[in-house]
This record gives sequence, structure tokens and C-alpha cells, in this order.
Amino acid sequence: MFGNAGWNELLEAQKFYWTDLLRLIKLLSTGAVTALEIFILTLIFSLPLGLLVAFGRMSKRKWIKKPIKIYILIMRGTPLLLQLWFVYYVPYFMMPKGMKINLDRFAATIIAFSLNYAAYFAEIYRGGIESISQGQYEAAAVLGFTRIQTFFRIILPQVIKRILPAITNEVITLVKDTALAMSLGISELFRVAKNEATRVFSTTPLFIAGIFYLAMNWIVTKIFDKFEKKLSYYKD
Amino acid sequence: MILKGDKMVMLEVNNLFKNFDTNEVLSGVSFQVKKGEVVAIIGPSGSGKSTVLRCINLLEKIDGGSIYVEGDMMVKTGNNGKVSYAPENELRKIRLRLGMVFQSFNLFPHFSVLQNITEAPLRITKKEKITVKENAMELLEKVGLTDKAEAYPYQLSGGQCQRVAIARALAMEPDILFFDEPTSALDPELTAEVLKVMRDLALEDMTMVVVTHEMSFAREVANRVIFMDKGFIIEEGEPENIFTNPCNERTREFLKGYI
Repeated sequence: MFGNAGWNELLEAQKFYWTDLLRLIKLLSTGAVTALEIFILTLIFSLPLGLLVAFGRMSKRKWIKKPIKIYILIMRGTPLLLQLWFVYYVPYFMMPKGMKINLDRFAATIIAFSLNYAAYFAEIYRGGIESISQGQYEAAAVLGFTRIQTFFRIILPQVIKRILPAITNEVITLVKDTALAMSLGISELFRVAKNEATRVFSTTPLFIAGIFYLAMNWIVTKIFDKFEKKLSYYKD
Repeated sequence: MILKGDKMVMLEVNNLFKNFDTNEVLSGVSFQVKKGEVVAIIGPSGSGKSTVLRCINLLEKIDGGSIYVEGDMMVKTGNNGKVSYAPENELRKIRLRLGMVFQSFNLFPHFSVLQNITEAPLRITKKEKITVKENAMELLEKVGLTDKAEAYPYQLSGGQCQRVAIARALAMEPDILFFDEPTSALDPELTAEVLKVMRDLALEDMTMVVVTHEMSFAREVANRVIFMDKGFIIEEGEPENIFTNPCNERTREFLKGYI
């Protein structure tokens, strides 16, 4: 049964399998890179924007606080998928002639993602900031620190340590949410995998895409674990 | 009792009023503190003692009266009842002359003991790093904690924390040091070590205003004792008089066990 001919066929089948796998991995890598681009750009914009939104949310002035609260409600209360469509289509289709803006699909993706995640980060920041005891502010004040110094040297470092687990959650979710960009035709990981799966009538590409997402989130988890460890030099 | 000489008025508080919503917590508090004096403010809870300190240290806004620090106006009230504070840059300068030690220490948990003490001088007075560090170590020696320079607050006992807090306040070289019930959160053993540091400071002619329940400290270290109740100063005088023969009935009642 396993004569010479049989072994060769087996080896050929193996070689074909591995080269095909390599091809798949190369193909999906391009999608993963796109996903990474969305991921990094979103974080770059939403992490600082979230801080601003948090300040707005905590403002004493009603004319700032109210609109911010509504913004946060809409961002967290509607599907990101819907927001993606909204950001892409509204500036063109709902604006009067002359004011029509034709957004680049990738730009629309980053804008929608950033606005959405900024709202989530804002509430995490706010929770962290409001959990810092009044005594810290008072001690800083009597020592003569300005409000800016107090916030960046005394308050924020403590806040970061407290919110790290919650931030990690959001970042992990973001890695997976990048798949939603496919609805705007962006060739990120999931879209590439799905197209390939349809083309070759196989679920293997999707399985490999799963491995990619897992690998990315494994790295994210490792990085945030390192941050947490670094901040464990003191206990609150 | 410790004798002092200088006559300069460091702090002048006139007719201080403070409301929290509808609750009038301070109802016309007036007193002065001279250079080198140790003034102890005693009284039942809710009498407004801490509020006085907080108002002077700009942690609360007053609703009436005036406060002068070394002759400089911090806040005054016009005849129309309008309260006006000095401009921000003036207040900043006055703030640097005042130091405060809190009941709950309020050390910065993410900084080491040394960093807690050096942070303010480094960021605010912009002195040389080496000088600031040296001064900090001297202060740590003064409060007896040189071996804890690299420790973090969570590793210290309450008494050690409070001593660090005192060193931290001293690092900014204040003209007047305020203590808001500095030992109230400490057990008797830890209280003693903190009171010792405060006693040493008093012996070095530091101008101090101490809100406290430690009657022995008030009696032995203070030059003057102010007794407050329900937002008023009921009685004021030298410890001997207050503790042995108070004039006011309320004072007598409060000090029942100590006279």
C-alpha cells in the first residue's frame, strides 16, 4: 500500500499544504497590518481625546457638560457599525449641494473609531479621576502646586494605575472591533479572510484569522501586564 | 510652657464667617498669631476649628471677614458685605508662606518618602536638585526617618507617615505651619513620636497653629489656647489659665477631665 509512489504523493500533499498555508498567512498578514493601522491610529486619537471629553464631562459649566453627556450617550448607546456608516455617508448624502464632503473610506473609519472609543475612555478616565481622594488635591494645593502641576504630577499617575485594567479591556475590544471596518470596504483582516474563505470554499482562512486576532491580543495582554507590573512598585 | 519674645503679627483673622449651604459653621471668628507663637485651637467636634484652618489655607472660601498674612491682605469683606480675595498671583505668594499638615497625612502614594519631600521645592521653587535633596535629607533627619528615604508611604506606619508629612510641609520653608488634628488618626504610641517632632519645632521658634484634641500638648507646648464651640471663640488665653481656671462655663464643661 505505501509503496514509493504512495510516499511521494504523501510528501507532495504535505508540501502543497504547507506552501498553501504560507500563502494564506502572507495574504492574511496584509489584512492584519491594516487592522493594526486602524488599531494604532484609533488609540493615538482616542486616548487624548477621551481625556478632553472626561474634563468636559466633569465640568461645572452646564453648557459644556450637557452636550458632552449626550455625545457619550450616543457613542456608547449605538452600534459602532452604525456610526461607521453614519460618518461615511452623512457628510455626502445628507449635506446640501456645495457642502457635500466625500470622505476617504479609511479616514471615515479612523474618525468613527476615534470618536467612539474616546467616549469609552472618557468614562474610564472620569471614574479613575473621581476615585482619587480630595486630600491629594488639598495637599498639593497647600504645597503651592498649580492645578496643571497637580493634575499631571500627582493625580494622573495615580489614575493611570487605577484604570489600567479597564483600559486593557477597551484595547482588547478595539483589536476585535477593527473587523467592523470591512463594512466600509476596508481590506482588514476579517474581510480578507472571509473573501479567501469564500473563494476556496474552506474555513481555514477564517481559522487562521482567529489565530491572528488571538496573537495580537496575546501581545496586547502581555504589554499591559508589563505596565501593571511596572506600576506595582507602590500600593495605594 | 515655652516662652517666646517676638511681637510681629504673622496672622490676623478678623470676624470670619463661613457657611456650608444653610449651616453657619463660623460665626465671627477673630484672633491673631504672633511670630514664634504656638497657638492651640481646641473644642468639640463641629465647632469649626478645622474650618478656620481650611479657610486660612485657601481650601475653603469665606463668606465674611478678613484674613491678613504678615500684613498682606488675603481676603477682605467690603461694607456692602462683598467678599474679595487678593489676585491669584498674590494668593500664590501668600500660599508659599503657609504650610499645612493634615489629619489623614495625604502623602503622595506614588512617590517615595524622599520624592514626597522634594517634589514641591523642585517644581515650585526651582532650586538646584542637589540642594533640594540635601535639604530633604536634613529634614528627614529632623523627623527621625533618614532610613526611610526610599520607602513608599504604604510601607510606613501612621506616625511615620505624619512625620514625613511634616517634613514635606517644612521643605517649602513656611512662615506659619498649620496642623489639622495631626494625631487624631494615630494610636497613643504613634501619637507620641509625632508630638515630639512638633515639640521640637516649637522649640525652634516655628510659628504654629495646631487644632488638636491632645490636651497635654496644648497645655505643655502652646503659648496660647483658643477654645471654640459652635463657630465662636468662647475663650482664649494662656494654657495655665485655660486649663486650671477657665472663665467660661462652656470651657469648664469641655475641659472637665483635664482641669
